[in-house]
Amino acid sequence: MAKILIVDDDHDFVQSVTSILEATGYDVSAAYSRVEGMEAVKTVQPDVILLDVMMDEPDDGFTMAQDLRRGGIKIPILMLTSVGKVSGMAFGKDAEMVPVDAYEEKPIRPDRLLTRIRELIKA
Amino acid sequence: MQIIEREKLDQMIQGLKAKYGDDQSALLPILQDLQSQYGYLSGVALQETAHALGIHPVEVEGVATFYSFLRTKEKQGKYVIRLCRTIACDLTGKARVARQLENELGIGFGETTKDGLFTLEYTNCLGMCDQGPALMINDRLFAKVTPDKVSQIVEDCRQDFLKSDFPKVVPSFVQKKGPIIDHGVQPAQGLKAALQMPRPDVIAAIRASGLKGRGGAGFATAVKWQLAAAAQSDAKYVVCNADEGEPGTFKDRYLLFEQTPFVFDGMTLAAYVIGSHKGFLYLRGEYLYMKDFLEDALAKRRADGLLGKQILGREGFDFDIEIRMGAGGYVCGEDTALIESLEGMRGEPRNRPPFPVDTGFEGRPTIVNNVETFVDATLIMAKGSEWFSRFGTEKSTGTKLFSVSGDCARPGIYEFPFGITVNQMLAEVGGIEAKAVQVGGASGRCVARKDFDRTIAFEDISSGGSIIVFGLERDMLQVAKNFMEFFVEESCGQCTPCRDGNVKLLEGIELLEQGRCSVSYLNELVKLGETIQLASKCGLGQSSPNAFLSIIENFRDEILGRLPQSV
Repeated sequence: MAKILIVDDDHDFVQSVTSILEATGYDVSAAYSRVEGMEAVKTVQPDVILLDVMMDEPDDGFTMAQDLRRGGIKIPILMLTSVGKVSGMAFGKDAEMVPVDAYEEKPIRPDRLLTRIRELIKA
Repeated sequence: MQIIEREKLDQMIQGLKAKYGDDQSALLPILQDLQSQYGYLSGVALQETAHALGIHPVEVEGVATFYSFLRTKEKQGKYVIRLCRTIACDLTGKARVARQLENELGIGFGETTKDGLFTLEYTNCLGMCDQGPALMINDRLFAKVTPDKVSQIVEDCRQDFLKSDFPKVVPSFVQKKGPIIDHGVQPAQGLKAALQMPRPDVIAAIRASGLKGRGGAGFATAVKWQLAAAAQSDAKYVVCNADEGEPGTFKDRYLLFEQTPFVFDGMTLAAYVIGSHKGFLYLRGEYLYMKDFLEDALAKRRADGLLGKQILGREGFDFDIEIRMGAGGYVCGEDTALIESLEGMRGEPRNRPPFPVDTGFEGRPTIVNNVETFVDATLIMAKGSEWFSRFGTEKSTGTKLFSVSGDCARPGIYEFPFGITVNQMLAEVGGIEAKAVQVGGASGRCVARKDFDRTIAFEDISSGGSIIVFGLERDMLQVAKNFMEFFVEESCGQCTPCRDGNVKLLEGIELLEQGRCSVSYLNELVKLGETIQLASKCGLGQSSPNAFLSIIENFRDEILGRLPQSV
């Protein structure tokens, strides 16, 4: 079954998403910061990364996505964040600055989350 | 006002609209130009301006009465003499110069001579703290003024000194150079290096350097730029905060004059990174004498292809910089107040969040950085992150420019790595006998001798660059009084803790001066100070009691139980 890595500093969010994904049959791993996330990408080698933006720094998710792409890692990234709601700014996929495959604002319905993950795995 | 004069006024306003724009953001420059033409802003001028810009006259009057350099009540003299009253000039004999000015002109401060030739005013820091007392006449600076020079200066004005060749610019004294001042980088070198890199790589380089904002708050520059770069918006703005109003700070004056290309290179590369086409350099009103010099520098950049369309031949990278003048208002150094001022409003800070990086100038993502931060970013791009981060401490990388004034042998501009102790700094500046050091200006803290082994760094004692040394003979209560007078004057008046609290603290200092303050009342004042820190809306209010509280903490014995005659 496909491996999903969640990188998010919100432990409650990680726990609830993990239970949804595991119930669907995915193999789920979690990291709680950008540094842990970069390490986990190497060790877990996930098929999809669910990535938050605001962690230790308010731009950690953007930085991690850029660092992965700069390092030649093309694993699909679903950015899942409330940064837009918190900051009032409009963010989204951007080939250069936000190099992710899909961008969704939290909160997200479980069926939509599963659909987006399936799309990314198929792609 | 006669009809013909009114028509002339309207024509001038229309001309200014064409020059500055037809929305409220053009208001401040229009008012400034009207004042320089007419000597003050009459009720008719305010109404006509409001009508021309389509805003309510009350709003225009609100703006005109907010800024200390705008006059609405009476015509100012041909020569407006502004004497600096902040602490560093106070330490060097401002009071005697003030008295002699009054004697020579026969008027008090805040008045205009009957012949309409002179207006005498106090102003806050002119950025000449190492060469005080300082005064400004129209757009010219006079440093190291002594009482006996006053009559000559006044006489020169009577002889129409504006026609003379008096130099506009007073040189800066750089006492200690370091890797930032003595960088050896060519103009545009850092900008060219940045433009050859993908935008995320520029941000990664800034992040790797550890650069934090040099204004004093110490926010990570890379984070600010990253958020603005990732945001999606039809417009984004780069603002250089050159509103160097913190008493005792004059290092930006040096950078703007002596490192001009590197300031503009920094703004331009920031624009490239965040995707901006328009920048503002917000220059404090007291630095008016620099405006022509900076405008010439911008014109040269346009001619050299470093501003305008397709900068350095890069397709789609269009960017230009406009200089906007402040009009006297310390609070405008706070970034949201600065943005309000740019928009033609009263310089009143906004609530946070939202932050400027998302809702800045005209509601668009805007980065506001200090002059020194832009220079540092330019040099990081030219020389690399590791070059920068090998100086300073782990959490405060790089070196910092300090403006040193007060009771020391060698006042001036110094470059030190972060992590230097107060003692080490005092040894360098010739102030080892100091009784106390004010680190970070009026909003900073007063460090007493027992703490001289502490370090200047974001993780210990943070500073935007102002260092004022107090010698053994200084009366620390007078120092506290000067700072509190400053904040009472400069509070924007928006929130109660700052507006009323600082007045109460000043009254308390006056009681202490008279030796009529009980310990229990002093304790109440300390609690009030802590409340102001906690409950004020912006950085100005939150930091306004710092000097008072640290002086009370460190010099309680010196301050309590004074005899009236010792005042």
